[in-house]
Amino acid sequence: MWWVKTQRVIHRLNFYVALVGMSFIIPLMLLTTFDVIGRKFFKPIPGAFEISEYILAIFILLGAAYTQQVKGHVGIGFITSRFSPRLQGICEIMTTLLGLFIIAIVIWQGWLEGIRERTVSDMLRIPQYPFRLLVAVGGFLLWLELLIDLFNSIGKLIRREG
Amino acid sequence: MNPITAGILGSALLVFLLFLGMPIAFVMMFVGFLGISYLTSVDAAFPVVAKTVYETASNYPYTIIPLFILMGGFAGSAGITRKLYQSFDKWFRKLPGGLGIATISACAFFAALSGSSVAASAAMGTIAIPEMRRFNYAPKLAVGAVAAGGTLSFLIPPSLGFVVYGMLTEQSIGKLLVSGIFPGILLSLAFVTVIVFQVKLDPSIAPVTPGEVSFKEKLLAFSGIWETLLVFFIVMGGIYGGFINPTEAGAIGATALFVIVLLKKKLSLHNLSTSLLEAVRISVLVLFLVAGANVFSYFLALSTIPMAVSSWMAELHVSRYIILGIIILIYMMLGCFLDAISMMVLTMPVIFPVIKALGFDPIWFGVICVIMMEAGLITPPVGLNVYTLAGVVKDVPMQTIFRGAMPFLISMIVVVIFITIFPKIALFLPSMMGR
Repeated sequence: MWWVKTQRVIHRLNFYVALVGMSFIIPLMLLTTFDVIGRKFFKPIPGAFEISEYILAIFILLGAAYTQQVKGHVGIGFITSRFSPRLQGICEIMTTLLGLFIIAIVIWQGWLEGIRERTVSDMLRIPQYPFRLLVAVGGFLLWLELLIDLFNSIGKLIRREG
Repeated sequence: MNPITAGILGSALLVFLLFLGMPIAFVMMFVGFLGISYLTSVDAAFPVVAKTVYETASNYPYTIIPLFILMGGFAGSAGITRKLYQSFDKWFRKLPGGLGIATISACAFFAALSGSSVAASAAMGTIAIPEMRRFNYAPKLAVGAVAAGGTLSFLIPPSLGFVVYGMLTEQSIGKLLVSGIFPGILLSLAFVTVIVFQVKLDPSIAPVTPGEVSFKEKLLAFSGIWETLLVFFIVMGGIYGGFINPTEAGAIGATALFVIVLLKKKLSLHNLSTSLLEAVRISVLVLFLVAGANVFSYFLALSTIPMAVSSWMAELHVSRYIILGIIILIYMMLGCFLDAISMMVLTMPVIFPVIKALGFDPIWFGVICVIMMEAGLITPPVGLNVYTLAGVVKDVPMQTIFRGAMPFLISMIVVVIFITIFPKIALFLPSMMGR
Protein backbone atom coordinates (compact mmCIF):
# COMPACT_ATOMS: atom_id res chain seq x y z
CA MET A 1 0.00 0.00 0.00
CA TRP A 2 2.80 2.41 0.89
CA TRP A 3 4.13 1.73 -2.57
CA VAL A 4 0.96 2.84 -4.32
CA LYS A 5 0.99 5.98 -2.19
CA THR A 6 4.66 6.80 -2.86
CA GLN A 7 4.06 6.29 -6.53
CA ARG A 8 1.11 8.66 -6.51
CA VAL A 9 3.10 11.29 -4.62
CA ILE A 10 5.97 11.13 -7.13
CA HIS A 11 3.59 11.31 -10.11
CA ARG A 12 1.83 14.30 -8.55
CA LEU A 13 5.11 16.03 -7.76
CA ASN A 14 6.41 15.60 -11.30
CA PHE A 15 3.15 16.80 -12.78
CA TYR A 16 3.25 19.99 -10.70
CA VAL A 17 6.91 20.52 -11.52
CA ALA A 18 6.01 20.27 -15.23
CA LEU A 19 3.18 22.79 -14.66
CA VAL A 20 5.68 25.22 -13.16
CA GLY A 21 7.96 24.73 -16.17
CA MET A 22 5.19 25.09 -18.69
CA SER A 23 3.92 28.33 -17.16
CA PHE A 24 7.06 29.94 -18.58
CA ILE A 25 6.08 29.27 -22.21
CA ILE A 26 3.55 32.10 -22.52
CA PRO A 27 6.02 34.65 -21.05
CA LEU A 28 8.62 33.31 -23.51
CA MET A 29 6.20 33.86 -26.38
CA LEU A 30 5.30 37.40 -25.26
CA LEU A 31 8.91 38.30 -24.47
CA THR A 32 10.07 37.40 -27.98
CA THR A 33 7.14 39.16 -29.62
CA PHE A 34 7.61 42.38 -27.64
CA ASP A 35 11.33 42.24 -28.29
CA VAL A 36 10.70 42.20 -32.06
CA ILE A 37 8.08 44.95 -31.85
CA GLY A 38 10.38 46.96 -29.59
CA ARG A 39 13.30 46.53 -31.97
CA LYS A 40 11.29 47.84 -34.92
CA PHE A 41 9.54 50.74 -33.26
CA PHE A 42 11.12 51.64 -29.90
CA LYS A 43 14.08 49.85 -28.45
CA PRO A 44 14.67 46.12 -27.94
CA ILE A 45 14.22 44.41 -24.59
CA PRO A 46 17.70 44.02 -23.09
CA GLY A 47 18.79 40.40 -22.71
CA ALA A 48 15.74 38.88 -24.41
CA PHE A 49 18.00 36.36 -26.11
CA GLU A 50 19.62 35.03 -22.95
CA ILE A 51 16.36 35.03 -20.98
CA SER A 52 14.81 32.92 -23.77
CA GLU A 53 17.63 30.40 -23.44
CA TYR A 54 17.19 30.15 -19.68
CA ILE A 55 13.42 29.76 -20.02
CA LEU A 56 13.88 26.95 -22.54
CA ALA A 57 16.25 25.20 -20.13
CA ILE A 58 13.73 25.55 -17.28
CA PHE A 59 10.77 24.02 -19.02
CA ILE A 60 12.63 21.30 -20.90
CA LEU A 61 14.50 20.08 -17.83
CA LEU A 62 11.47 20.36 -15.53
CA GLY A 63 9.28 18.63 -18.14
CA ALA A 64 11.53 15.62 -18.65
CA ALA A 65 10.06 13.57 -15.78
CA TYR A 66 6.46 14.35 -16.75
CA THR A 67 7.19 13.27 -20.31
CA GLN A 68 8.43 9.92 -19.02
CA GLN A 69 5.32 9.67 -16.82
CA VAL A 70 3.01 9.88 -19.85
CA LYS A 71 5.40 7.58 -21.77
CA GLY A 72 6.28 10.45 -24.08
CA HIS A 73 9.87 9.32 -24.68
CA VAL A 74 9.18 7.15 -27.72
CA GLY A 75 10.55 3.67 -28.27
CA ILE A 76 9.91 0.88 -30.72
CA GLY A 77 7.15 -1.36 -29.42
CA PHE A 78 6.17 -3.52 -32.35
CA ILE A 79 8.73 -6.28 -31.75
CA THR A 80 8.39 -6.66 -27.99
CA SER A 81 4.59 -6.61 -28.33
CA ARG A 82 4.91 -10.03 -29.98
CA PHE A 83 6.94 -11.51 -27.11
CA SER A 84 5.40 -13.55 -24.32
CA PRO A 85 4.38 -11.44 -21.30
CA ARG A 86 7.28 -12.93 -19.33
CA LEU A 87 9.89 -11.99 -21.93
CA GLN A 88 8.29 -8.57 -22.28
CA GLY A 89 8.69 -8.05 -18.55
CA ILE A 90 12.35 -9.07 -18.67
CA CYS A 91 13.00 -6.66 -21.58
CA GLU A 92 11.31 -3.84 -19.68
CA ILE A 93 13.41 -4.48 -16.59
CA MET A 94 16.64 -4.62 -18.59
CA THR A 95 16.05 -1.49 -20.62
CA THR A 96 14.79 0.46 -17.60
CA LEU A 97 17.95 -0.50 -15.67
CA LEU A 98 20.08 0.83 -18.53
CA GLY A 99 18.00 4.02 -18.55
CA LEU A 100 18.51 4.41 -14.78
CA PHE A 101 22.25 3.92 -15.29
CA ILE A 102 22.69 6.61 -17.96
CA ILE A 103 20.41 9.10 -16.20
CA ALA A 104 22.33 8.53 -12.95
CA ILE A 105 25.48 9.63 -14.78
CA VAL A 106 23.61 12.69 -16.07
CA ILE A 107 22.53 13.62 -12.51
CA TRP A 108 25.98 13.13 -11.00
CA GLN A 109 27.84 14.97 -13.76
CA GLY A 110 25.14 17.62 -14.07
CA TRP A 111 25.60 18.39 -10.38
CA LEU A 112 29.40 18.56 -10.65
CA GLU A 113 29.20 20.79 -13.74
CA GLY A 114 26.58 22.96 -12.07
CA ILE A 115 28.42 23.72 -8.84
CA ARG A 116 31.62 24.46 -10.77
CA GLU A 117 29.94 26.80 -13.25
CA ARG A 118 30.92 30.47 -12.83
CA THR A 119 29.69 31.89 -16.16
CA VAL A 120 27.22 34.77 -16.14
CA SER A 121 25.08 35.86 -19.08
CA ASP A 122 26.45 38.58 -21.37
CA MET A 123 23.92 41.36 -20.88
CA LEU A 124 22.12 40.89 -17.60
CA ARG A 125 24.93 39.08 -15.75
CA ILE A 126 22.54 36.32 -14.63
CA PRO A 127 24.63 33.43 -13.29
CA GLN A 128 24.33 30.21 -15.28
CA TYR A 129 24.81 27.72 -12.46
CA PRO A 130 21.19 27.52 -11.18
CA PHE A 131 20.07 26.53 -14.66
CA ARG A 132 22.93 24.07 -15.06
CA LEU A 133 21.89 22.51 -11.75
CA LEU A 134 18.43 21.95 -13.21
CA VAL A 135 20.06 19.16 -15.24
CA ALA A 136 20.66 17.35 -11.96
CA VAL A 137 17.23 18.27 -10.54
CA GLY A 138 15.27 17.35 -13.67
CA GLY A 139 17.44 14.26 -14.12
CA PHE A 140 16.70 13.15 -10.56
CA LEU A 141 12.92 13.52 -11.03
CA LEU A 142 13.19 11.59 -14.31
CA TRP A 143 15.19 8.93 -12.45
CA LEU A 144 12.37 8.58 -9.89
CA GLU A 145 9.86 8.01 -12.71
CA LEU A 146 12.11 5.34 -14.20
CA LEU A 147 12.45 3.75 -10.76
CA ILE A 148 8.65 3.51 -10.51
CA ASP A 149 8.59 1.87 -13.94
CA LEU A 150 11.26 -0.59 -12.80
CA PHE A 151 9.38 -1.61 -9.65
CA ASN A 152 6.13 -1.92 -11.58
CA SER A 153 7.76 -4.18 -14.18
CA ILE A 154 9.30 -6.36 -11.45
CA GLY A 155 5.98 -6.46 -9.60
CA LYS A 156 4.12 -7.53 -12.74
CA LEU A 157 6.66 -10.29 -13.40
CA ILE A 158 6.52 -11.64 -9.83
CA ARG A 159 2.74 -11.65 -9.73
CA ARG A 160 2.66 -13.60 -12.97
CA GLU A 161 5.22 -16.14 -11.74
CA GLY A 162 3.54 -16.56 -8.37
CA MET B 1 39.72 -3.27 -31.98
CA ASN B 2 40.01 -0.38 -34.43
CA PRO B 3 37.58 2.55 -34.21
CA ILE B 4 35.49 1.37 -37.16
CA THR B 5 34.86 -2.04 -35.58
CA ALA B 6 33.89 -0.28 -32.34
CA GLY B 7 31.51 1.92 -34.30
CA ILE B 8 29.88 -1.05 -36.00
CA LEU B 9 29.52 -2.94 -32.70
CA GLY B 10 28.05 0.19 -31.11
CA SER B 11 25.53 0.58 -33.91
CA ALA B 12 24.57 -3.11 -33.60
CA LEU B 13 24.04 -2.65 -29.85
CA LEU B 14 21.94 0.44 -30.62
CA VAL B 15 19.66 -1.51 -32.96
CA PHE B 16 19.41 -4.40 -30.47
CA LEU B 17 18.37 -2.12 -27.60
CA LEU B 18 15.93 -0.24 -29.85
CA PHE B 19 14.23 -3.51 -30.70
CA LEU B 20 13.93 -4.33 -26.99
CA GLY B 21 11.78 -1.21 -26.70
CA MET B 22 14.14 1.09 -24.80
CA PRO B 23 13.26 4.76 -25.37
CA ILE B 24 15.27 5.95 -28.36
CA ALA B 25 16.76 9.01 -26.65
CA PHE B 26 18.11 6.93 -23.75
CA VAL B 27 19.51 4.25 -26.09
CA MET B 28 21.49 6.84 -28.04
CA MET B 29 22.83 8.42 -24.84
CA PHE B 30 23.75 5.05 -23.37
CA VAL B 31 25.46 3.59 -26.45
CA GLY B 32 27.09 6.94 -27.21
CA PHE B 33 28.46 7.03 -23.67
CA LEU B 34 29.86 3.48 -23.89
CA GLY B 35 31.42 4.20 -27.28
CA ILE B 36 33.04 7.46 -26.23
CA SER B 37 34.40 5.77 -23.08
CA TYR B 38 35.97 3.06 -25.21
CA LEU B 39 37.41 5.32 -27.91
CA THR B 40 38.70 8.04 -25.58
CA SER B 41 38.56 7.40 -21.84
CA VAL B 42 35.87 6.92 -19.21
CA ASP B 43 36.83 10.21 -17.55
CA ALA B 44 36.38 12.06 -20.80
CA ALA B 45 33.04 10.36 -21.45
CA PHE B 46 31.40 11.02 -18.06
CA PRO B 47 30.55 14.72 -18.52
CA VAL B 48 29.54 14.42 -22.18
CA VAL B 49 25.89 13.42 -21.70
CA ALA B 50 25.06 15.97 -18.97
CA LYS B 51 26.80 18.73 -20.93
CA THR B 52 24.98 17.84 -24.13
CA VAL B 53 21.61 17.78 -22.35
CA TYR B 54 22.18 21.28 -20.96
CA GLU B 55 23.52 22.69 -24.21
CA THR B 56 20.60 21.27 -26.19
CA ALA B 57 18.03 22.44 -23.66
CA SER B 58 19.38 25.99 -23.58
CA ASN B 59 20.06 26.59 -27.26
CA TYR B 60 18.16 29.65 -28.46
CA PRO B 61 17.09 28.33 -31.92
CA TYR B 62 15.31 25.40 -30.27
CA THR B 63 12.81 27.71 -28.53
CA ILE B 64 11.03 27.53 -31.90
CA ILE B 65 9.72 24.03 -31.10
CA PRO B 66 7.31 24.87 -28.25
CA LEU B 67 6.25 28.00 -30.15
CA PHE B 68 5.33 26.07 -33.29
CA ILE B 69 3.38 23.55 -31.22
CA LEU B 70 1.55 26.37 -29.45
CA MET B 71 0.57 27.80 -32.85
CA GLY B 72 -1.17 24.54 -33.75
CA GLY B 73 -2.76 24.30 -30.30
CA PHE B 74 -4.17 27.84 -30.40
CA ALA B 75 -5.35 27.43 -34.00
CA GLY B 76 -7.27 24.35 -32.86
CA SER B 77 -8.75 26.18 -29.83
CA ALA B 78 -9.88 29.06 -32.05
CA GLY B 79 -11.98 26.65 -34.10
CA ILE B 80 -10.11 27.59 -37.27
CA THR B 81 -10.10 23.99 -38.54
CA ARG B 82 -13.87 23.78 -38.77
CA LYS B 83 -14.20 27.16 -40.46
CA LEU B 84 -11.58 26.27 -43.05
CA TYR B 85 -13.42 23.07 -43.85
CA GLN B 86 -16.77 24.83 -44.24
CA SER B 87 -15.32 27.49 -46.55
CA PHE B 88 -13.61 25.00 -48.83
CA ASP B 89 -16.74 22.87 -48.91
CA LYS B 90 -18.67 25.86 -50.27
CA TRP B 91 -16.08 26.47 -52.97
CA PHE B 92 -15.43 22.91 -54.10
CA ARG B 93 -18.87 21.36 -53.63
CA LYS B 94 -19.51 20.79 -57.35
CA LEU B 95 -16.15 19.19 -58.11
CA PRO B 96 -15.85 15.37 -58.19
CA GLY B 97 -15.10 14.28 -54.63
CA GLY B 98 -15.72 17.85 -53.45
CA LEU B 99 -15.71 17.07 -49.73
CA GLY B 100 -12.45 15.15 -50.14
CA ILE B 101 -10.88 18.12 -51.89
CA ALA B 102 -12.19 20.38 -49.14
CA THR B 103 -10.54 18.06 -46.59
CA ILE B 104 -7.16 18.22 -48.31
CA SER B 105 -7.39 22.02 -48.71
CA ALA B 106 -8.40 22.52 -45.09
CA CYS B 107 -5.51 20.27 -44.01
CA ALA B 108 -3.08 22.24 -46.16
CA PHE B 109 -4.25 25.55 -44.70
CA PHE B 110 -4.23 24.20 -41.16
CA ALA B 111 -0.68 23.00 -41.91
CA ALA B 112 0.20 26.63 -42.58
CA LEU B 113 -0.50 27.29 -38.89
CA SER B 114 0.57 24.06 -37.27
CA GLY B 115 3.83 22.19 -37.01
CA SER B 116 2.72 18.75 -35.92
CA SER B 117 0.70 16.42 -38.06
CA VAL B 118 -0.93 14.24 -35.44
CA ALA B 119 -2.87 17.24 -34.16
CA ALA B 120 -4.09 17.96 -37.69
CA SER B 121 -5.24 14.39 -38.27
CA ALA B 122 -7.14 14.27 -35.03
CA ALA B 123 -8.81 17.63 -35.59
CA MET B 124 -9.81 16.92 -39.18
CA GLY B 125 -10.90 13.41 -38.29
CA THR B 126 -13.62 14.67 -36.00
CA ILE B 127 -14.82 17.32 -38.46
CA ALA B 128 -14.45 15.99 -42.00
CA ILE B 129 -15.19 12.30 -41.60
CA PRO B 130 -18.71 12.58 -40.16
CA GLU B 131 -19.49 15.05 -42.93
CA MET B 132 -18.21 12.80 -45.72
CA ARG B 133 -20.06 9.81 -44.34
CA ARG B 134 -23.26 11.82 -44.05
CA PHE B 135 -23.10 12.26 -47.81
CA ASN B 136 -22.34 8.58 -48.39
CA TYR B 137 -18.68 8.79 -49.31
CA ALA B 138 -16.91 5.42 -49.31
CA PRO B 139 -15.19 5.10 -45.89
CA LYS B 140 -11.94 4.15 -47.60
CA LEU B 141 -11.77 7.44 -49.49
CA ALA B 142 -12.85 9.51 -46.51
CA VAL B 143 -10.30 8.15 -44.04
CA GLY B 144 -7.55 7.97 -46.68
CA ALA B 145 -7.97 11.67 -47.47
CA VAL B 146 -7.81 12.70 -43.81
CA ALA B 147 -4.82 10.46 -43.04
CA ALA B 148 -2.88 11.79 -46.05
CA GLY B 149 -4.00 15.40 -45.59
CA GLY B 150 -2.78 15.33 -42.01
CA THR B 151 0.76 14.60 -43.15
CA LEU B 152 0.90 17.96 -44.95
CA SER B 153 1.64 19.68 -41.63
CA PHE B 154 5.03 18.10 -41.72
CA LEU B 155 5.98 19.72 -45.04
CA ILE B 156 4.07 23.02 -45.17
CA PRO B 157 5.76 25.53 -42.86
CA PRO B 158 5.72 25.97 -39.91
CA SER B 159 7.00 22.43 -39.71
CA LEU B 160 8.74 20.52 -36.95
CA GLY B 161 10.31 18.24 -39.57
CA PHE B 162 12.41 21.05 -41.04
CA VAL B 163 13.35 22.35 -37.61
CA VAL B 164 14.73 18.97 -36.54
CA TYR B 165 16.47 18.47 -39.90
CA GLY B 166 18.03 21.91 -39.59
CA MET B 167 19.18 21.19 -36.04
CA LEU B 168 20.82 17.90 -36.97
CA THR B 169 22.52 19.10 -40.15
CA GLU B 170 23.26 22.71 -39.15
CA GLN B 171 21.38 24.13 -42.11
CA SER B 172 19.44 27.40 -41.97
CA ILE B 173 16.01 26.63 -40.48
CA GLY B 174 14.57 29.74 -42.17
CA LYS B 175 15.68 28.57 -45.62
CA LEU B 176 14.38 25.07 -44.97
CA LEU B 177 10.96 26.36 -43.90
CA VAL B 178 10.71 28.59 -46.96
CA SER B 179 11.79 25.74 -49.25
CA GLY B 180 8.80 23.71 -48.06
CA ILE B 181 6.19 26.10 -49.45
CA PHE B 182 6.11 25.10 -53.14
CA PRO B 183 6.60 21.37 -52.57
CA GLY B 184 3.79 21.62 -50.00
CA ILE B 185 1.46 23.17 -52.57
CA LEU B 186 2.56 20.61 -55.15
CA LEU B 187 1.87 17.71 -52.80
CA SER B 188 -1.55 19.13 -51.88
CA LEU B 189 -2.40 19.36 -55.59
CA ALA B 190 -1.17 15.79 -56.06
CA PHE B 191 -3.51 14.63 -53.27
CA VAL B 192 -6.41 16.49 -54.90
CA THR B 193 -5.58 14.81 -58.21
CA VAL B 194 -5.59 11.42 -56.49
CA ILE B 195 -9.11 12.10 -55.20
CA VAL B 196 -10.46 13.36 -58.52
CA PHE B 197 -8.89 10.41 -60.32
CA GLN B 198 -10.43 7.87 -57.93
CA VAL B 199 -13.85 9.47 -58.20
CA LYS B 200 -13.66 9.57 -62.01
CA LEU B 201 -12.86 5.85 -62.01
CA ASP B 202 -15.73 5.00 -59.69
CA PRO B 203 -18.25 7.85 -59.19
CA SER B 204 -20.19 5.79 -56.64
CA ILE B 205 -17.49 6.32 -53.96
CA ALA B 206 -18.27 10.03 -53.74
CA PRO B 207 -21.83 11.11 -54.58
CA VAL B 208 -22.18 14.79 -55.52
CA THR B 209 -23.17 16.83 -52.48
CA PRO B 210 -26.67 18.30 -53.04
CA GLY B 211 -27.42 21.99 -52.55
CA GLU B 212 -26.44 25.03 -54.56
CA VAL B 213 -24.06 27.63 -53.15
CA SER B 214 -24.81 31.18 -54.26
CA PHE B 215 -22.03 33.47 -55.41
CA LYS B 216 -22.58 35.68 -52.38
CA GLU B 217 -22.16 32.73 -50.04
CA LYS B 218 -18.94 31.78 -51.81
CA LEU B 219 -17.66 35.29 -51.33
CA LEU B 220 -18.62 35.30 -47.66
CA ALA B 221 -16.84 31.98 -47.17
CA PHE B 222 -13.61 33.93 -47.46
CA SER B 223 -14.15 34.95 -43.83
CA GLY B 224 -13.20 31.39 -42.86
CA ILE B 225 -9.69 31.57 -44.24
CA TRP B 226 -8.44 35.13 -43.86
CA GLU B 227 -7.05 34.62 -40.35
CA THR B 228 -5.00 31.69 -41.57
CA LEU B 229 -3.67 33.64 -44.55
CA LEU B 230 -2.86 36.65 -42.40
CA VAL B 231 -0.91 34.71 -39.78
CA PHE B 232 0.88 32.66 -42.45
CA PHE B 233 1.98 35.77 -44.35
CA ILE B 234 3.21 37.50 -41.20
CA VAL B 235 5.18 34.43 -40.13
CA MET B 236 6.59 33.29 -43.46
CA GLY B 237 6.82 36.80 -44.93
CA GLY B 238 8.85 37.86 -41.92
CA ILE B 239 11.25 34.95 -42.34
CA TYR B 240 11.44 35.32 -46.12
CA GLY B 241 12.14 39.02 -46.02
CA GLY B 242 14.78 38.51 -43.36
CA PHE B 243 13.00 40.83 -40.91
CA ILE B 244 12.79 38.23 -38.18
CA ASN B 245 14.45 34.90 -37.45
CA PRO B 246 12.32 31.73 -37.45
CA THR B 247 12.10 31.65 -33.64
CA GLU B 248 10.77 35.20 -33.55
CA ALA B 249 8.35 34.29 -36.32
CA GLY B 250 7.12 31.35 -34.21
CA ALA B 251 6.61 33.66 -31.23
CA ILE B 252 4.75 36.26 -33.28
CA GLY B 253 2.60 33.58 -34.93
CA ALA B 254 1.73 32.07 -31.57
CA THR B 255 0.96 35.50 -30.08
CA ALA B 256 -1.26 36.40 -33.06
CA LEU B 257 -3.22 33.16 -32.71
CA PHE B 258 -3.39 33.68 -28.95
CA VAL B 259 -4.98 37.09 -29.56
CA ILE B 260 -7.44 35.51 -32.05
CA VAL B 261 -8.42 32.91 -29.42
CA LEU B 262 -8.89 35.70 -26.87
CA LEU B 263 -11.00 37.81 -29.27
CA LYS B 264 -13.24 34.85 -29.99
CA LYS B 265 -13.59 34.28 -26.24
CA LYS B 266 -12.55 30.66 -26.76
CA LEU B 267 -9.80 30.69 -24.14
CA SER B 268 -10.48 28.30 -21.29
CA LEU B 269 -8.11 26.97 -18.68
CA HIS B 270 -8.64 23.53 -20.15
CA ASN B 271 -7.73 24.61 -23.71
CA LEU B 272 -4.70 26.50 -22.53
CA SER B 273 -3.32 23.76 -20.31
CA THR B 274 -3.87 21.13 -23.04
CA SER B 275 -1.88 23.21 -25.52
CA LEU B 276 0.87 23.95 -23.02
CA LEU B 277 1.20 20.36 -21.81
CA GLU B 278 1.43 19.21 -25.41
CA ALA B 279 4.12 21.81 -26.04
CA VAL B 280 6.09 20.51 -23.04
CA ARG B 281 5.69 16.86 -23.97
CA ILE B 282 6.71 17.23 -27.61
CA SER B 283 9.54 19.70 -26.93
CA VAL B 284 11.04 17.43 -24.29
CA LEU B 285 10.68 14.40 -26.55
CA VAL B 286 12.34 16.17 -29.49
CA LEU B 287 15.13 17.83 -27.52
CA PHE B 288 16.01 14.63 -25.65
CA LEU B 289 16.14 12.85 -29.00
CA VAL B 290 18.39 15.57 -30.38
CA ALA B 291 20.61 15.49 -27.27
CA GLY B 292 20.84 11.69 -27.62
CA ALA B 293 21.64 12.05 -31.31
CA ASN B 294 24.40 14.56 -30.54
CA VAL B 295 26.01 12.19 -28.04
CA PHE B 296 25.72 9.30 -30.47
CA SER B 297 27.03 11.35 -33.43
CA TYR B 298 30.06 12.32 -31.35
CA PHE B 299 30.77 8.61 -30.86
CA LEU B 300 30.20 7.89 -34.56
CA ALA B 301 32.51 10.74 -35.54
CA LEU B 302 35.22 9.28 -33.26
CA SER B 303 34.69 5.91 -34.94
CA THR B 304 35.25 7.57 -38.36
CA ILE B 305 32.33 5.57 -39.81
CA PRO B 306 30.51 8.52 -41.46
CA MET B 307 33.74 9.50 -43.27
CA ALA B 308 34.47 5.94 -44.31
CA VAL B 309 30.95 5.39 -45.60
CA SER B 310 30.82 8.61 -47.57
CA SER B 311 34.24 8.14 -49.17
CA TRP B 312 33.31 4.56 -50.02
CA MET B 313 30.07 5.78 -51.61
CA ALA B 314 31.92 8.46 -53.55
CA GLU B 315 34.28 5.85 -55.00
CA LEU B 316 31.47 3.55 -56.06
CA HIS B 317 31.28 5.01 -59.57
CA VAL B 318 27.56 4.53 -59.82
CA SER B 319 25.15 7.35 -60.55
CA ARG B 320 24.46 9.35 -57.40
CA TYR B 321 20.77 9.06 -58.19
CA ILE B 322 20.96 5.30 -57.64
CA ILE B 323 22.36 5.91 -54.17
CA LEU B 324 19.63 8.49 -53.57
CA GLY B 325 17.09 5.90 -54.68
CA ILE B 326 18.51 3.40 -52.18
CA ILE B 327 18.39 6.00 -49.40
CA ILE B 328 14.74 6.73 -50.24
CA LEU B 329 14.00 3.00 -50.19
CA ILE B 330 15.66 2.70 -46.77
CA TYR B 331 13.49 5.57 -45.52
CA MET B 332 10.39 3.83 -46.88
CA MET B 333 11.25 0.72 -44.91
CA LEU B 334 12.25 2.55 -41.72
CA GLY B 335 9.06 4.59 -41.98
CA CYS B 336 7.13 1.38 -41.48
CA PHE B 337 8.20 1.04 -37.87
CA LEU B 338 9.73 4.33 -36.71
CA ASP B 339 8.08 7.67 -36.11
CA ALA B 340 9.24 10.59 -38.23
CA ILE B 341 11.43 12.49 -35.78
CA SER B 342 13.16 9.36 -34.45
CA MET B 343 13.84 8.23 -37.99
CA MET B 344 15.54 11.49 -38.83
CA VAL B 345 17.52 11.57 -35.61
CA LEU B 346 18.74 7.99 -36.02
CA THR B 347 19.76 8.16 -39.68
CA MET B 348 21.07 11.69 -40.19
CA PRO B 349 24.52 11.18 -38.60
CA VAL B 350 25.41 8.72 -41.37
CA ILE B 351 23.12 9.71 -44.26
CA PHE B 352 23.83 13.44 -44.25
CA PRO B 353 27.62 13.18 -44.82
CA VAL B 354 26.89 10.81 -47.71
CA ILE B 355 24.43 13.27 -49.26
CA LYS B 356 26.97 16.08 -48.93
CA ALA B 357 29.77 13.91 -50.38
CA LEU B 358 27.57 13.10 -53.37
CA GLY B 359 27.12 16.82 -54.03
CA PHE B 360 23.37 17.05 -53.41
CA ASP B 361 21.99 20.33 -52.13
CA PRO B 362 21.38 20.02 -48.36
CA ILE B 363 18.26 22.21 -48.41
CA TRP B 364 16.80 20.21 -51.30
CA PHE B 365 17.54 16.95 -49.50
CA GLY B 366 15.75 18.37 -46.46
CA VAL B 367 12.58 18.62 -48.54
CA ILE B 368 12.97 15.06 -49.90
CA CYS B 369 13.67 13.80 -46.42
CA VAL B 370 10.63 15.50 -44.90
CA ILE B 371 8.34 14.07 -47.60
CA MET B 372 9.72 10.59 -46.86
CA MET B 373 9.05 11.14 -43.14
CA GLU B 374 5.49 12.08 -44.07
CA ALA B 375 5.16 8.85 -46.01
CA GLY B 376 6.21 7.00 -42.86
CA LEU B 377 3.22 8.47 -41.04
CA ILE B 378 0.78 6.49 -43.19
CA THR B 379 2.63 3.23 -43.95
CA PRO B 380 1.67 0.00 -42.16
CA PRO B 381 2.17 -1.43 -39.59
CA VAL B 382 2.82 1.68 -37.46
CA GLY B 383 1.71 4.81 -39.30
CA LEU B 384 1.24 7.35 -36.52
CA ASN B 385 -1.47 9.32 -38.36
CA VAL B 386 -3.40 6.14 -39.05
CA TYR B 387 -3.28 5.22 -35.37
CA THR B 388 -4.49 8.66 -34.33
CA LEU B 389 -7.28 8.49 -36.86
CA ALA B 390 -8.30 5.00 -35.78
CA GLY B 391 -8.63 6.43 -32.27
CA VAL B 392 -10.98 9.15 -33.51
CA VAL B 393 -13.06 7.11 -36.00
CA LYS B 394 -13.76 3.96 -34.06
CA ASP B 395 -15.95 2.08 -36.56
CA VAL B 396 -13.47 1.99 -39.47
CA PRO B 397 -10.90 -0.84 -39.26
CA MET B 398 -7.22 0.14 -39.34
CA GLN B 399 -6.76 -1.98 -42.47
CA THR B 400 -9.22 0.21 -44.38
CA ILE B 401 -7.37 3.38 -43.36
CA PHE B 402 -4.05 1.96 -44.55
CA ARG B 403 -5.61 0.86 -47.84
CA GLY B 404 -7.33 4.22 -48.26
CA ALA B 405 -4.01 6.01 -47.75
CA MET B 406 -2.19 3.85 -50.33
CA PRO B 407 -2.97 5.95 -53.45
CA PHE B 408 -1.78 9.05 -51.59
CA LEU B 409 1.43 7.27 -50.66
CA ILE B 410 2.10 6.59 -54.33
CA SER B 411 1.50 10.25 -55.16
CA MET B 412 4.14 11.18 -52.53
CA ILE B 413 6.70 9.05 -54.35
CA VAL B 414 5.73 10.72 -57.63
CA VAL B 415 6.23 14.14 -56.03
CA VAL B 416 9.66 13.07 -54.70
CA ILE B 417 10.69 11.99 -58.21
CA PHE B 418 9.35 15.24 -59.61
CA ILE B 419 11.31 17.37 -57.12
CA THR B 420 14.42 15.31 -57.85
CA ILE B 421 14.12 16.05 -61.57
CA PHE B 422 13.24 19.71 -60.96
CA PRO B 423 15.06 20.71 -57.74
CA LYS B 424 14.12 24.33 -58.47
CA ILE B 425 10.63 23.64 -57.08
CA ALA B 426 12.21 23.47 -53.64
CA LEU B 427 15.18 25.77 -54.12
CA PHE B 428 13.63 28.66 -56.04
CA LEU B 429 12.21 30.52 -53.04
CA PRO B 430 15.12 30.10 -50.60
CA SER B 431 17.62 31.18 -53.26
CA MET B 432 15.93 34.57 -53.43
CA MET B 433 15.67 35.07 -49.68
CA GLY B 434 16.55 38.37 -48.02
CA ARG B 435 19.16 36.91 -45.71
